Amino acid sequence: MSDRALGFQYGTLAQQRETATLGMWAFLATEVLFFGALIAAYLNYRIWFGQEFIAAASLTKVVLGTANTAVLLTSSACMAMAVTTFDAGSKRAPVLWLSATGLLGLVFIVIKATEWWLEYQEHLVPALNFDLARHGGVAEIFFVFYFCATGLHALHLLIGISLVTWLAVRIGSGRLQPGGSTTRLIGLYWHFVDIVWIFLFPLIYLAGRNA
Amino acid sequence: MSVATIWRCWLALMLLLAATTASAFAPLGSLNIVISLGIACAKALIVLLFFMELRASRALVRAFAAAGFFWLLIMIVLTGADYWHRTDAKAPIDQIY
Repeated sequence: MSDRALGFQYGTLAQQRETATLGMWAFLATEVLFFGALIAAYLNYRIWFGQEFIAAASLTKVVLGTANTAVLLTSSACMAMAVTTFDAGSKRAPVLWLSATGLLGLVFIVIKATEWWLEYQEHLVPALNFDLARHGGVAEIFFVFYFCATGLHALHLLIGISLVTWLAVRIGSGRLQPGGSTTRLIGLYWHFVDIVWIFLFPLIYLAGRNA
Repeated sequence: MSVATIWRCWLALMLLLAATTASAFAPLGSLNIVISLGIACAKALIVLLFFMELRASRALVRAFAAAGFFWLLIMIVLTGADYWHRTDAKAPIDQIY
């Protein structure tokens, strides 16, 4: 991807960059609706089933969830640092910040996987070992939502970690120069995955703690 | 975006995270979800405006960014207008007979 070369259809590099940014936002709009449909379903079930649905949410691990939110928000700050230092012309700093971003992403995945393992041991995984007699059908619906939402989010994060790693290698080897769009676009994707989690966190982990 | 702005945003995000987690344990009834979703919106706005650079972007880019959330609002409101108002009571036209 020779990112600074001007495509024949553009007048200026600035125009080319803005077109790339608009394309990324158009893609992110489809992602908003993708996760938004899941959240709309959650809101429906929460209103239908009320207290029983909220009680199921309190079976999630709030300490691990809060720690993971802090990890992901920090990774976003590191990503913003990578974009800023890369634009400023530095080569070493963006590689280090991208490494920090990717590592924090991996920490998030490890904590998430630990949670899933704990939930497996507590017989909370629908279709695998859900204990219907103990937790009830409404709780099973909540955990279907929980595993779909956190699973799809983790998948997006894994794609983000791959992109960030690829980007760090390209910047490190000098094949990507400042002035292009690649770093900024991958940054937009990373921050979007962060925003999805910002909304999943209160819906999954904070419901039912006030009893 | 300046380095100082990035870490000020990070600090604000951490404080909001602490506030939302603490507020979830306060017995406020249905007000809890209003507070936690309100704080989630504030956090998302910080990420959108600063980290995703919408504050410094042209109106066209902002319109593209807003479009997805606007369609999501339509989806949730129209879904809710149906499902959240269903009751076991008969519709008025059925109560006549």
